[in-house]
Amino acid sequence: MDEFELLRYVTIGQYLPTDSLIHRLDPRVKIVGLGALALAIVAQTSAAGSILGLLSALALVALARVDLRVALRGLAPSAPILALLALLQLGLGWGARSSDCVAWWSWGIFNVTSCSVEAVIALLARLVALVLLTSLLTFTSTLSAIARGIEWLLRPFQRVGVPADELAMVFTIALRFVPTLALETEKLLKAQAARGANIRGGTNPIARTRQLVPVLVPLFINTLRRSEELATAMEARGYVGGANRTHYVRLRSQRADAIALIIVMAWVVVLVAIQVMQG
Amino acid sequence: MHDRLDRFHDRDGSAKARALPRLSPISVERRFVFEATLDALIRIENLHHTYAGAPPVDALRGIDLTIRAGEYVAIVGANGSGKSTLARHLNALLLPTRGDVWIGRTNTRDAKSWREIRAIVQMVFQQPDAQLVATMVEEEVAFGPENFGVPENELPARVRAALETVGMWAQRQRAPHLLSAGQKQRVAIAGALALQPRVLVLDEATAMLDPAGRAAVHQILRALHQRGVTIITITHEMDEAAQAERIVVMHAGHIALQGTPRQIFARGNELRALALDVPPIAQVAQQLGLPVCLTEQEFIAALRARAPQPPRAAPTRERNGTGDTIIRVEQLSHRYLRGLPLESRALENVDFDVTRGEAMGLVGATGSGKSTLMQHLNGLLRPQTGYVRVDSYNLAEATTDVRAVRRIVGLVFQQPEDQLFAQFVGDDIAFAPRQFGLDRDAVRERVRWAMEMVGLNFDAFKDRMTTTLSGGERRRVALAGVLAMRPQILVADEPTAGLDPQARAQTREIFRRLRADGTTLVLASHRMDDVAALCQRVTVLNDGRVCARGTTREIFARADVLRASGLDAPPIARLADALRAHGWQIPANILFADELIAALGGA
Repeated sequence: MDEFELLRYVTIGQYLPTDSLIHRLDPRVKIVGLGALALAIVAQTSAAGSILGLLSALALVALARVDLRVALRGLAPSAPILALLALLQLGLGWGARSSDCVAWWSWGIFNVTSCSVEAVIALLARLVALVLLTSLLTFTSTLSAIARGIEWLLRPFQRVGVPADELAMVFTIALRFVPTLALETEKLLKAQAARGANIRGGTNPIARTRQLVPVLVPLFINTLRRSEELATAMEARGYVGGANRTHYVRLRSQRADAIALIIVMAWVVVLVAIQVMQG
Repeated sequence: MHDRLDRFHDRDGSAKARALPRLSPISVERRFVFEATLDALIRIENLHHTYAGAPPVDALRGIDLTIRAGEYVAIVGANGSGKSTLARHLNALLLPTRGDVWIGRTNTRDAKSWREIRAIVQMVFQQPDAQLVATMVEEEVAFGPENFGVPENELPARVRAALETVGMWAQRQRAPHLLSAGQKQRVAIAGALALQPRVLVLDEATAMLDPAGRAAVHQILRALHQRGVTIITITHEMDEAAQAERIVVMHAGHIALQGTPRQIFARGNELRALALDVPPIAQVAQQLGLPVCLTEQEFIAALRARAPQPPRAAPTRERNGTGDTIIRVEQLSHRYLRGLPLESRALENVDFDVTRGEAMGLVGATGSGKSTLMQHLNGLLRPQTGYVRVDSYNLAEATTDVRAVRRIVGLVFQQPEDQLFAQFVGDDIAFAPRQFGLDRDAVRERVRWAMEMVGLNFDAFKDRMTTTLSGGERRRVALAGVLAMRPQILVADEPTAGLDPQARAQTREIFRRLRADGTTLVLASHRMDDVAALCQRVTVLNDGRVCARGTTREIFARADVLRASGLDAPPIARLADALRAHGWQIPANILFADELIAALGGA
């Protein structure tokens, strides 16, 4: 029914002003804290460690007062592929194959063992946790706050030629245009559908790709033109790169930020320790 | 950018010119350099501009123009006459191929002064979406001052003052892409004002706005002008130009005419020859033999001075549909992003019907639900609650064949010229008939018919590349691309937005031909005069609900309802109203110039 409503699937860069404790934290703390947590979760190989990671992500989502269904929506488009991966992992049991495994069910090359079940649970838990953590950053911080945070964190690397301010600007504009492009694509899909295009129809991949031409060509042209217009508008307002710019959004660290960072880092250490002890 | 640097080398040649100048925050003191020559803030001498390319395009061919500090100037001209190119020379976004542009005492060729020039001459562009950088309104407004290194403790005051000037302070925390087009343009103006410019250039900044959005921008411009800001506005709207102190008329890269609005609009025939027009009030005055009038008050005063004359019978024009209801919408509601935090209501219990063969106008402010309703008419959106029937198809039923519906309902989106994709005109127009599986000859016949309907010669245009067409031609190709389905119903969203007066008149002509051919029309427009000229019934939407429906004459006589919906009656109806209020015996429901002239006993 909402076949054309692309914005429905665009959760990246969406700010949800629920004004929680996490919203009020310094963006630098959020970037560093969530980044470290994400790394620690990726490092987990056991089901126990992964589930612990997922639980910590869920706790943060609850703390941010974000509706869990909204937070998980970013997973919806890739759900079929995830399900397929999980099935393969479950049946073919790549990786963990040892004498400790108990075979539960077997059919041809498919072998479901206690190890593969554990591995699938661990995989899914880690993936969901990662999606939640990345969404959490944009749900609780405005894009410009994130950009300012990235810029500040990159500043030490400016000496070796990393253009921190420009990168932050690129980041902001890229995400600023995600909803715009989604709306533009939606409009083109609708316009061509109104002229009889059957964009979903057919199973032949070549025919399906050809059906996309009427959408992709104008999308590409319009995007190029739009970026040119944007560049002109930015130039007209005196933008010439990062040098000597001042900033409306000011970064301010408070005691709560230090406390939050210490707690998250302590938890990261715990997660890493769990992994090391099991490995 | 390279282009510019090269020219800079040519003139200067010194080693220090190799890189872009270092930037420094601009102090208030330095700005006064520009005020030294108050009577000629902007001086343009023999300006030529040629765009490189094969073949090169001479956009400007010798412009001489002086603009004084505090002036309010309107630049008008057909599409492609060079208006925007001229505007981009005022803040050194473009540099002259030949000739000079001086801002105060500074030549725009002096690369070191570009930043100072841009702090003084600020610009607002046509497309609201393409000029907003930030993800929050207040940060958007701060962008300019940030670039100029305005101290951080000064930024909040700048942002607040600018947003208060345009009445958007309350929306400071919102995301620009969630605002209406009119609000976006007000934010863009605030972004320019935050730099405290002496000159504000608007490049067709109101072209995409609804009447209320446009009126809000006009009011802001008048206030800024009173404060001493120099206003330069590029526009296709003659009533907008009439507000300026001086009008500059451009044609093919030259200045064809310039003078006060009174002087310019006295030369209606010359303007029409330049693909322009005079505002409706001036036109009526002229046909009654009155002096040039720009406002209703002037018109009334001029009419008082004239000897009274007996009214004549007004010309009659009645056009009706032919009976059965071809579209019926009942109790239709629609919500976007249903079930999400950003869910928004677009339609609420809408009833709407269209008779076969009639032209139905759909009017309402931006965001009132017009587009949403239109997309229900060919099944792009399916009813969430309520009922939609088109011809014999019930769209509320999930099993209905939507492609069959799309075949009888052609839908033309706003700015359809942005949707062309094929290399050649003929192929683009043939897309729809081919999708519906017509054979080669039938496709060719459809394409020929559609091109003739929109006034493009089949043999001359079918093999043209779509990229070489003008904006007006591109829009006609896009329209033909929908007509090639030979739809029984044509639904069009803002078909005349952004067109110059001549292209607009041609578009109206296309719709008249379609009606004569028996096509049912549903037209959404912010232009009440277009609706009055084309439609015999009108439905008014306000905030997702139908707030009035009736014949065009009934609806446009209800000024209160229109105003409450962010709209206004067409200019002639407003003038007739004003005359009635001043005691003239004029029949109600007057919509057109010839009717008003007859009622006043004119020629």
